[in-house]
Amino acid sequence: MVDVADAVRTQGLLKRFGQQVAVGGVDLVVPQGSFAGLVGPNGAGKTTTLSMVTGLLRPDGGGVWIGGADVWRDPVAVKARIGVLPEGLRLFERLSGRELLSYNGQLRGIPKDEVARRAEELLRVMDLAESADKLVVDYSTGMRKKIGLAAALLHNPRVLFLDEPFEGVDPVSANTLVEVLRRYTASGSTVVFSSHVMELVERLCDWVSVMSRGRIVAQGPLDEVRGGRSLNEAFLSLVGAPAEHGGGEEGLSWLGATSA
Amino acid sequence: MAGRDLGMSDAVPVGPAVFARLKLRLIAGNLRGDTTRLLGFVFTLLAALVVAALGFSAMAMLRSAPPQIAADAVTVLFTMLLVGWVVVPLLAFGLDDTLDPSRLALFPLTTGRLAAGMFTASVTGVWPAATLFATFGAVAGLAAGAGGVLVGTLAVLLQFALCIVTSRLVTTSLSGVLRTRRGRDVLAVSVVFFILAAQLPNLLLNQGFAGKPREMLHGIASVLRWTPPGMAAHAVADGGPAALAEVAFLALLTAGLGFLWIAALRRAMVTTDASTEGASVRNSRGLLARFLPDGPLAAVATKELRYARRDPRGRVGWFAALAVTGVMAFSLNNGGEGTTPGPALAIGPACLGALMIGLQSCNSFGIDGRSLWMNSMVYGTARDWRTDLAGRHLAVAVIAVPALAVLAVVAGFLAGDPVWAVPAVLTAWGVLGVGLGVGALSSVLLPYTVPERLNAFTGAAPGQGGIAFAGSFATMIGTALLALPVALPVLLGVTWVCAVAVPYGVLVAAVGRRIAGNLGFARYPEILGSISQPG
Repeated sequence: MVDVADAVRTQGLLKRFGQQVAVGGVDLVVPQGSFAGLVGPNGAGKTTTLSMVTGLLRPDGGGVWIGGADVWRDPVAVKARIGVLPEGLRLFERLSGRELLSYNGQLRGIPKDEVARRAEELLRVMDLAESADKLVVDYSTGMRKKIGLAAALLHNPRVLFLDEPFEGVDPVSANTLVEVLRRYTASGSTVVFSSHVMELVERLCDWVSVMSRGRIVAQGPLDEVRGGRSLNEAFLSLVGAPAEHGGGEEGLSWLGATSA
Repeated sequence: MAGRDLGMSDAVPVGPAVFARLKLRLIAGNLRGDTTRLLGFVFTLLAALVVAALGFSAMAMLRSAPPQIAADAVTVLFTMLLVGWVVVPLLAFGLDDTLDPSRLALFPLTTGRLAAGMFTASVTGVWPAATLFATFGAVAGLAAGAGGVLVGTLAVLLQFALCIVTSRLVTTSLSGVLRTRRGRDVLAVSVVFFILAAQLPNLLLNQGFAGKPREMLHGIASVLRWTPPGMAAHAVADGGPAALAEVAFLALLTAGLGFLWIAALRRAMVTTDASTEGASVRNSRGLLARFLPDGPLAAVATKELRYARRDPRGRVGWFAALAVTGVMAFSLNNGGEGTTPGPALAIGPACLGALMIGLQSCNSFGIDGRSLWMNSMVYGTARDWRTDLAGRHLAVAVIAVPALAVLAVVAGFLAGDPVWAVPAVLTAWGVLGVGLGVGALSSVLLPYTVPERLNAFTGAAPGQGGIAFAGSFATMIGTALLALPVALPVLLGVTWVCAVAVPYGVLVAAVGRRIAGNLGFARYPEILGSISQPG
């Protein structure tokens, strides 16, 4: 049932918040070594799914396996294997960037000197060396995403989960993030990231899972999912959005610089 | 062009009523669909009603008191109102959308219209109404004759307007600072003074004023006589030509402050936050890390110590616990005249201090809040959670052990014999251990969010006040009960028991960590949820 070749596999993953079903039976599959994008409109359940997959939120039903190990039954094996950059940039705000990295490394039991060496390299690659001793609370959005990614990479995980890693990030920082991630997947590690920027997903990913209203509506290699169209067009038709020239013509007649 | 012109000519002038409606809508919108908030609002409403009724009747009843006392009392009450209006909105900045002018910066409003609107919004609400009603009690209590009532009403209205305008002026001129991270940090720490101020009457009463409240009242009132609220109070009581002069002065003052407020508004609308250029912190390993073996224990303990120093919530917590304990120790010793000096007078305050510090750990994960995911991403066993708690306990002990020693020595001196510090400090350390053990349990069983933005009235996110209260109450009761076996004999004079206090405390802390570690591992997603509520 569980294919070890899959980096991530979920089966019937379910989460309710009160009456509302946030995630209604998701079967997510991400093959080993892929650069996978989880796309979907706001409120599709991407963040809830990723939280459950990474063991931060208890599912109401279904199972999650990472590299064949059950996330909720075998946490020790899973937690050593994954790195996470959650949404909302929840970091220890009152530590400096360097302190945050060394805290993270020491928690994982990596020897102090090794942590310092890796942290130094990560800070340099992420272009954060100058701000390494500033408090994270004073970082800009791009800097926070970069330090978060550095913290997620510090223990060299096999699978990396990133929730909206490029949101609010300036092009220069985004480029740095992309470079690091490309190098990381080239070595056979897996990246799963959620986004609603289709161009980015199209440019980076070789595997796409499309979510809508708490379900996976399409999943597979990028070319298979988009089927000759642009990913954006494929996505809009998959999630059932109105066609490009459909709505909005009747209303908003006063809008725009018309001199009627 | 016609379309545009049509739009403009249709525009309705924005009067103050719009702002009043906006404020009411905000209040109503805040309550929609959330039972706990609704309950909170009902509670606020009741509290305001009580304040209004009590304030009004207290001042109205002054009619039966001697005129001098009545005037003095109203002077003091008016001043308290004004101070309250200046301080409270500062501490609650950001809780009220109409208070922050920058939210309205994009609307095409003239500054004068904006000021009128903001004034209207400010007087719309539960607390302004309660204030106005209570203030009118002064007319009922002090004014004499129809002329007196007329002048008194004017004075009361001006006192009310003064409260509002001064409060607005202060929040507006500081709003630039308040929106920066550093400004909020400073302000958060100033909450401590609020907590200390609550202890002030206690201290004053113990310092010999207890027998002569009348002299104390008159002393305070004579100092406040020529302050604006003092003049307003005098105007109500006097009702003559002097009162008219005072009313005129108050009107001028209010108008002047209003003018300053408008100027501040104009500035605040175009000033931005420039706080992102944070200063660097010292890149040090931390003293503790040098003595501890490398690993999670050292990581958590070092981080906790950094947070105690850098996070305003950490600073406030520690400072408040230590200061309140100091004040209590001091007033315990001065207060009871009938009590004979004895070791209990040194041991009691030290143990209370330990209890207060232990209470700080009743929500160990609260200050980490949403960032705790980083720890839970790593911990795969109950043992990991136990180590995490041990790190937190270690950090608390690093600060608390010497602090309690100092407290015990001071309490010993005050109680009459420095030697009493020895049983006091040993017992206090034991109580601290018990507090940490019980606190570990409540941290995993009753976790709640500590909001980023501190205010003096609640330490929990909206809707979690009950959990917060239950958590600290349970910790307090639990600690007190579990500490009884060692603390009670020592307090009663069986001093040798203090020798077992420290091992006992260490044992209870370890047992607490063991149980809490297992529970924490079993329900960490739920803990994470409870401490990540939007504050």
